[in-house]
Amino acid sequence: MTRDHTVIEELLAIRSLGGLDGDDVGLLERELASHGDCEECRRLASEYDETAGRLAFALDPETVDMARADEILQRANHPATQAVVPPPVAAPVNELEERRGRRSRSGPALVAAAVAVLLVVSAVALFGPNRSTGVQASTDQQVVGFTGDAGELAMAYRPGEPGALLLGSGFADPGADKVYAIWMLQGSTPVSGGCVRPHDGSIVAFVDADLTGTDQMAVTVEPASCPSAPTTRPVLVSDPLVA
Amino acid sequence: MEAIDLAEARDRELVLGIRRRDEEAFRGLFGRYAPGAKALAMRVVRQSHLAEEIVQEAFMALWRNPAAYDDQRGSVQSWLMGMVHHRAVDLVRREESYRRRAEKTAHQAMELESDHADAVVEQIGLPEERRRVRAALDELPEAQREVLERMYFDGMSQSQIAEATGLPLGTVKSRTLLGMRRLRAALVQEEP
Repeated sequence: MTRDHTVIEELLAIRSLGGLDGDDVGLLERELASHGDCEECRRLASEYDETAGRLAFALDPETVDMARADEILQRANHPATQAVVPPPVAAPVNELEERRGRRSRSGPALVAAAVAVLLVVSAVALFGPNRSTGVQASTDQQVVGFTGDAGELAMAYRPGEPGALLLGSGFADPGADKVYAIWMLQGSTPVSGGCVRPHDGSIVAFVDADLTGTDQMAVTVEPASCPSAPTTRPVLVSDPLVA
Repeated sequence: MEAIDLAEARDRELVLGIRRRDEEAFRGLFGRYAPGAKALAMRVVRQSHLAEEIVQEAFMALWRNPAAYDDQRGSVQSWLMGMVHHRAVDLVRREESYRRRAEKTAHQAMELESDHADAVVEQIGLPEERRRVRAALDELPEAQREVLERMYFDGMSQSQIAEATGLPLGTVKSRTLLGMRRLRAALVQEEP
C-alpha cells in the first residue's frame, strides 16, 4: 500500500527552510510518527534539507580571517569553566542600555546582595589581586546587587581599583554550549568581563578588569565561545556602580 | 559535475580527519566554508559581529562533535549550512526587535568588518556551485522565489510571511512546496 506523503512533504519543505511554526510543528511530528519507519519520509527530509543547505551558496562569500579557526580550536579545547576575560571590544548600543532604563529593584536581589556582603568582603580580601589581607581594609568596598530572574547575584569592588568579585546562587544550567557572560556597561557600550558556568547553581567569578567608567553590570546567556559582544538580552542587571 | 563529487569526497575526508582530532582538517573545512557560512549568517541576522559569532559557534560544534554529521543524510556543505542557518534563525526569532534596530547600522558594520579582515579565504570550486544555485533560483516563478527567499534568507516563518504579505497561510505553504520541489529537482535530484 502506498501512503500519501503530500502533507509531510509540504511540512518538511517548510521546515528545511526554517519556516515551520505554530500548530504545524506538532502536526509534522504526528504525521511522521504515524508513518513509522518510513523510507520515503527519510528521503524527503534528506533531500529538502540538502536543497535548503545549497541555497546558502547563492550568496557572495564574506571575507573571513583564517585566524578565527585557531581561535575556535583554542576555545573548544579550553572551554570556559571560570571567569575568562577576552579583550574588550566595543559593541553597538543594544538591549543592555534599554534594559537599564526600565529595570526595577527586586526584593530577592537586595536580600541576596545583603547576604552576600560578608562572603564577598572576605573573598575579595582573600582572592583579589593587590588586596590587603585584613577584612578591616575593605571598608571602602562597594557591594551591588543584580535584578533579574536568572539567579541571585552580588558584586563587590573598590571604586578606583581594578577587579571585582561576583558571587551568585540559584543559577540554572544555561544549557549545553552556553555560559553566563558578564558585561561592564560603559556608557552605551557593553564591554566583556568574561564568562562563567555555574557549579551546583553557584557562581564565583573574579573579573580582572578596570571598572573605571563602568556605570552598571549585566549578565547575558551566550555561546560557550564567550563572544566579545552580547547577542541576547540581559538576564540580570546590576544597580548603578559608585564611581 | 565530477568536480562536485570530488569536492564532496574531500569534505567527507576532512570530517573524518576532524574525528581524528586533526586540526589541519578543521582549518581546511573552515577555510572552505566559513566565508559562505558567514555570508548566510550575515544575510539572516544582518549584523557582522553576530554573524561571526554564529559561524564560530557552528564550527566549534563541528569540532566538538564531528560524529553529528551523518553522511547518509546529505552533503557536508548542506549540513554545515544547515547548522549555521538554524542558529541564525533561532537568534533572529529571539532577538527580533534587536535586529530591527540594528538593520539601520548593518551596512556600516559590514563595511568596517571587510576593511579589517586580515585574510581573504579562497573558496575553491564554489563559484560553480553558486552559479548553479542562482540559476535554479532564477528559474522559479517570482511568487515562489519571494516566499523562499523571505523564509530562508530573511529568517521569516510561514506565519510571519503570511502576515507581512497578506497572503493566506495556505498559499505561503503551497508556494514554498512548489518552489522547493523545483529547486530539489534542479540541485539535488538531477545531480549525477
